Amino acid sequence: MTDNQLVYLYCVANEEPKLAKAVDLAEDLYLVCHRALHAVVGEVDESEFGAEGLKRNMADLEWIKTNASAHEKVIEQAMINTDVIPFKFGTLFATDESLKMMLEQHGEEFKAILERLANKQEWGLKIYCDLEKLRTGLLSSQERILKIDNEIKSSSVGKAYLLKKKKDEMIEQTLNERINKCGRESFESLKESSCEARINRLLPKEVTEREDEMVLNSAFLVGKDKVGNFIDVVDTLKMRYEQDGLFVDCTGPWPAYNFCGLSDGRRQNE
Amino acid sequence: MNSDIAKSKDVTLLEILDRVLEKGVVISGDMVISVADVDLIYLGLKVLLSSVETMEQLRGSPFAGPMREAV
Repeated sequence: MTDNQLVYLYCVANEEPKLAKAVDLAEDLYLVCHRALHAVVGEVDESEFGAEGLKRNMADLEWIKTNASAHEKVIEQAMINTDVIPFKFGTLFATDESLKMMLEQHGEEFKAILERLANKQEWGLKIYCDLEKLRTGLLSSQERILKIDNEIKSSSVGKAYLLKKKKDEMIEQTLNERINKCGRESFESLKESSCEARINRLLPKEVTEREDEMVLNSAFLVGKDKVGNFIDVVDTLKMRYEQDGLFVDCTGPWPAYNFCGLSDGRRQNE
Repeated sequence: MNSDIAKSKDVTLLEILDRVLEKGVVISGDMVISVADVDLIYLGLKVLLSSVETMEQLRGSPFAGPMREAV
């Protein structure tokens, strides 16, 4: 089998990015330039990244981890000295020429996106909830729950059973209200400190591999001069929620994965 | 807080996967060799892996011999 080469696109930049020299996982990086855009690409084997190879490899968690990390590393390196549009993992072209055709077709849109992203960074905010800790806290702090507790102690078996049921419902309701309030407050206050904001789908525990439950998954596009302010708000939220079992996890700066949708139908996944 | 620090490596990987496989510009066209539903694969992977294990367990069970040919 001849091993053809494919062109793997990492990102498109408006200024010539410095390519990583020591990115061990992607050695054959080069630039494809067209219409004042600089595409950071790498040569990959068709056996590994072609339709069949990719299908096979996408069932291999270790392969995904290695290659997704390499994808991120290359883009992070490129964004050190220029603004970049990050592409989704596995964006492949047959040749440099076909990539240039794509740059020709979408060039104006890419320039508009890069202009919008100029001097901004993406930051991520996820909130995780230790449900047991939050529940325990609510049990001892909520007056109406304490009150119903006392009622249960002085009631007949039948009435106590019904009251207990009512109490459980009350706890779950209070729990949900508390989580929603935390998510809403956090998102809204960070939205005020950023240019754009979005909420993403929650990831299940099988994916996060955490004990606590993800209750907010959000991303923000923050002006570089506003990052200090943004982090201050995050720290305030962290302190406010920590003792309740709500863990505020902020990461960044990231390439603007969440804020570079194309204007026509070919936008990023919702 | 110590447990959070110990986990930070995993969290970072999760954060990378959550972006690299889910977001970023998606383009489609004749010249692009694209993989459909890359993002779904990652979310479903754990489930998929466990179902493969289940299948292999079944295959190894005494009741799962080779299918007899009809006729």
